[in-house]
Amino acid sequence: MSEPALRAVGLGKRFGRSVALAGLDLELPQGTSLAVLGPNGAGKSTLLRLIAGLARPTSGSLSVAGTPAHRPAARALVGFIGHASLLYSNLTARENLLFAARLQQVGEASLRVEQLLETSGLARVADLPIAGFSRGMAQRLSIARGLVHDPPLLLLDEPFTGLDPRAAAGLAARLASLREAGRTLVLVTHDPKRAAELADRAIVLAAGRVVFERQGIATGAADLERAVLAAGDAAT
Amino acid sequence: MSVFLAILWKDLVTEWRSRDRITAMLLFSLLVVVIFHFSLPGGATRDTQATAPGLLWIAYVFSALLGLNRSFSLELENDALSGIALSPVDRGWIFLGKAASNTLILGAAQGVTALVFGLVFEVDLAAIALPLAGVVALGSVGICSVGTLFAAVAVRTRFREVMLPLLLLPLLVPVLLGAVRATAGLLETGALAFEPVQLLLVTDATYLIVSWLVFDFVLDE
Repeated sequence: MSEPALRAVGLGKRFGRSVALAGLDLELPQGTSLAVLGPNGAGKSTLLRLIAGLARPTSGSLSVAGTPAHRPAARALVGFIGHASLLYSNLTARENLLFAARLQQVGEASLRVEQLLETSGLARVADLPIAGFSRGMAQRLSIARGLVHDPPLLLLDEPFTGLDPRAAAGLAARLASLREAGRTLVLVTHDPKRAAELADRAIVLAAGRVVFERQGIATGAADLERAVLAAGDAAT
Repeated sequence: MSVFLAILWKDLVTEWRSRDRITAMLLFSLLVVVIFHFSLPGGATRDTQATAPGLLWIAYVFSALLGLNRSFSLELENDALSGIALSPVDRGWIFLGKAASNTLILGAAQGVTALVFGLVFEVDLAAIALPLAGVVALGSVGICSVGTLFAAVAVRTRFREVMLPLLLLPLLVPVLLGAVRATAGLLETGALAFEPVQLLLVTDATYLIVSWLVFDFVLDE
C-alpha cells in the first residue's frame, strides 16, 4: 500500500507565545482533495507552509509521501501556490517559469516552460515583463509556476483572492482538471462553495485545531458555511 | 549547482534591468570618498595617504550594507523568497547564489569607487591594480558571505535596515583588519603581505562554511 500523500501527527507550530497549530492530526490519501477553511488566524496558511517545508513544526511530525516535510526530497513533491504570486515583476513570464524550473531541477526546462505557457494561455505575452500583467494573468502564471515540476501534491493558499468571476471560473476548471488527473490538492479558502465544489473532504480550523470535519461528496457548502461561522464566533 | 547558477542569473538580470541597487551603492560610496576628501586637511599629503586604505574600506563596507539590505528586501515582493526556499536542494546552494551575486554587484561598485578614490587622493592604483583587486575580492567574499546570511536573517525583522549593520559590523572586524592591512601594505611597498591575506583567507573560509551550514535554518519561518 502506498504512503499517504500527507500525514500529520500531533502537529504543532508556535510563533513565540502565539499558537498557530495545536496538535493537528491529519491523513490524506494520494489523489484526494482537501479543503481547509476557518476564520482569519485559524492556522490555515501555517498548515500549508509547514507542508511546503517553508517552516518547521514546533511539535509533532509531518510527512509528505512518507518523507519529513522539511527535507529537500519532500519539497520536490510539492507545488505551492500562495496568495502572493512568488514571481519577479521585472522578469518576463518565460523567464519567471524558466527560473522556477531551474530551481526545481526540471530536466528539459525550456520545453516544459513552453508547454506551460501554452496551456496557461500566456504564450502571446511570454516575453513581456509581468509588472504589466493583470491579477488574473499573474495568477495563471503563478499556477504554472507551481506546476512546473509536475508535483503530485498541490498546495493552494486562497488562490481565488482578487480574481474576477471569469478568471475564478477558469481557475476552478483548471483545479478540477488537476484533481481528475489524480493530483492531491490541499486548498485553503474562505469560500465554502468553492471548497464543496473542489474538495472530497473538508476541515474547518479554529485556533489551530480541527473543529469540523466532513468526508466524501456529502460535503455541502451550507454545512461548511455554518461550521466556519461557528468557528469564527468561537474564536471571537 | 544549477540552483546556484539560476539564482546568480536571476539576481544579475533583475539588477541589470532596474539598476537600483548598484546606483544607490555607487552614489553612496562616491559620496563617502568625496566627503573624506574635503574633510581631511591638506589634500594628498603623506598623512592623508596613510589613512587611504581605511577610508577606502569604509566606503566599501557602507556600500555593501546598502546592497545587502536591498538584496533580500527585493525577495519580499510577491513573497518570492518562499519561491526560492521551495527548491528541493540543499539551501546552501541558494546561499551561495545570493552571496555570489552580492559579491559581483559589490565588485562593480568597488571598481568605480577605486578609480575615483585614486584620482581624488592622488594614489597610483594602476601599478598595484592586480594584487589590489585580489585583496578587494577576498575582502568582498568575507563581507558578502556573512552579510548574505545576516541579510536573510534581518529581512524578516521589523527594523531590517538597522538590524543588518548591528548584526554584521562586529563580525566584519577580522575581514576589515585583514583587508585594510593588506591594502595599506600594497600602497606602501607595492608588495602583498602574507599575514593579512592569510587572515582574509581563513575568515572567508570560516564564514562561507558556517553560512552554508546554517542558511537552511535561516530560510525557515
